[in-house]
This record gives sequence, C-alpha cells and structure tokens, in this order.
Amino acid sequence: MLHSIFLLLACQLAGEAVHRLTGLALPGTVIGMILLVGWLAAFRAERPALVAVTGWLTAHLAIMFVPACVGLIDEGALMARYGIGLIVATAASMALTLAVTALVFRWALVRFVPEDGTETGAKPESIAA
Amino acid sequence: MLAAPLFWLTVTLGVFELFDTASKRSGRHPLCHPVLWSTPALIGLLLVTGTPYAAYKAATMPLSFLLGPAVVGLAVPIWAERARIRRLAAPIALALGAGAVTSIVSAVGILSLFGAPREILASIAPRATTNPVAMSVAGQLGGIPALAAVIVMFAGVSGAMTATPMLNALGIRDYRARGFAVGVTAHGIGAARAFQVNATAGALASLGMALNAVVTASLLSIVALLV
Repeated sequence: MLHSIFLLLACQLAGEAVHRLTGLALPGTVIGMILLVGWLAAFRAERPALVAVTGWLTAHLAIMFVPACVGLIDEGALMARYGIGLIVATAASMALTLAVTALVFRWALVRFVPEDGTETGAKPESIAA
Repeated sequence: MLAAPLFWLTVTLGVFELFDTASKRSGRHPLCHPVLWSTPALIGLLLVTGTPYAAYKAATMPLSFLLGPAVVGLAVPIWAERARIRRLAAPIALALGAGAVTSIVSAVGILSLFGAPREILASIAPRATTNPVAMSVAGQLGGIPALAAVIVMFAGVSGAMTATPMLNALGIRDYRARGFAVGVTAHGIGAARAFQVNATAGALASLGMALNAVVTASLLSIVALLV
C-alpha cells in the first residue's frame, strides 16, 4: 500500500521535474502517467495494492476537483459575457467529437481488424458500405 | 473557526456526500452529478459567510492535492488493457487522433466566433480531457483553471446524457466504438455512464479517457510552443 503511494508520488515528482527542466507544456502529472506506464512495463509484477489505490483515487476523482469548480465564484463577469458562447462551443464540440471518434473507430475496425464482433455481443457490422 | 482549514474541508466533504447520496438515489443520472450541485451550494456558503476564495482554496488543498496522483494512476488501466490496445491499435490510434483534433479545433473555432479572448480560448481547448488534466493544461496555456473545470463538467454531463441517442442515430452498434468515443469526448462522466450500459463499453471509455488525456495534452503543448 505504502509502496504504491510512493510509486505514484515518485512518478509525479519525476514528471514534474521533466516538465520544469524541459519547459514542456505537457503537465507533470501526464508525464508522470507515461513514466508509470514505462515502470509497469519494465518491472512486471502483480500489483494488487497499486490497483486498489488507483481504483480508490479514480472512484473519488469528482470530489477532488470541487474546490477548483468553486473558483468560478471569481469569474462571474466572464461567465455573464461569454456564457452562451461557452455553452454552444462546448456542446457542439462534444457532439462533433463523439461522432468523429465513433465513425473513425468503426471504419478502422472494419478496415484493419478482420476478426471482429466477437467480444461485444453486438451484431457484426455490415461490410457492404 | 471559519478560517481553520478543518472547517471548509469538512463542509466540502459533507456537502458532496449529501449530493452524492441524492445522485445514488437517482440511479446516477448525469444531471444529478454531485459536482454539479456541490459547486453552487459551496459558492453560496462562501458568499453567505463572506469567505474569500483564496482562503477556501487553501483550506481544501488536501483534496486538490490528490488530483496529481489520481492522474498518474491512469497508467494502471492503460497497462491493464495493453492486450486490447495492441489488438485494436489501428482503430484506437486513428479514432483518438481524429477525436482529439476535432475536439480542440471545433471548441476553439466556435468559441472564437463569439469574440472570446485568448484566456477563454485556452480554457476550452482541453475540454475533452479529464478534469485535472484540463485544469493544468489550461493553466499552462494562459487560461483559467476554474473555467476549464466547469467547461469539462458541462461537456461530461451533456455527453453522458446524449451519447446513447446520438450513437444510435449514427448507427454505431459496436460497443467498443461506442465506449471509446464516449470516453474520448466526455472523460470520466461519460465512462461512468458507459459502464452502466455495457462492461466492454465502460472499459473502452476509461481507456479513451486515459489516452486522450495524453494525446490532447501533448497536442496542446505543441500548440503552446508555436503560438
């Protein structure tokens, strides 16, 4: 348990260091995530404690960003001015991204992954198109 | 007493717990997401008590701190799904690239039509990533982390609510394509919804969320170098 927490913090710290030293705009936490994937690949082991700790963190992610959302308290003027634009842009971007991602995924599935439709329980897609 | 860190930390947990219970009762309906209701409730409490946000932010630091290790921990589902990633490498890579670019370009493009300044555009650019990543990327680009957090919440809730009818209308039946698309566009809130529908869709949605955090953050850090 303690080792898992150490591993997460160590990867974050290393990611933060890479972020500062290289001046990459990629956040230290994301670099830390990549480093942890590398660590898991390099030192293969069953890690039930790490799975438990990260599972707990992911399950409680929502409350962790409540303090940030409350920061909206100081952005009233911006929201009044650009609120409509933000809603329109976010909703349109969400719908477009959903459609593009799903359509490209399905096209590539049919095109590049021949043995298809086994694990979904869904009917196989028609390849007529 | 209102100035002590313990007070606002306790109140935040209590308020969240209250709305989380309500959310459970609703069968986890996206509109009952606890963040959606805790945020205005806590803003109200800060206004009533005349507490400045800086004091609240300092008091709730222990919660915000956990975001870092939580993002690093997204490595675990990526690693656990490596066999599936290898098998579905082409669909995952192509859909992820297309989705991430579509998300950034459409959000920034449409918002700029409203004459929004750069700090607002920077806040919406990472809107498809999971919240902690969106906040730090927005901060890096000169945006407003709080605004990014709220945009991401809105994208997640609206995505979780409309994904099923939209994907049906598009005729996407494969649960891998459906789940992945929901995770890429609506992060954790979308993934939670996908898990309710189908386990495969949920796994692919979590994967889409984790991978998109890396891809969108990388794309935007390249953009940051250029502008």
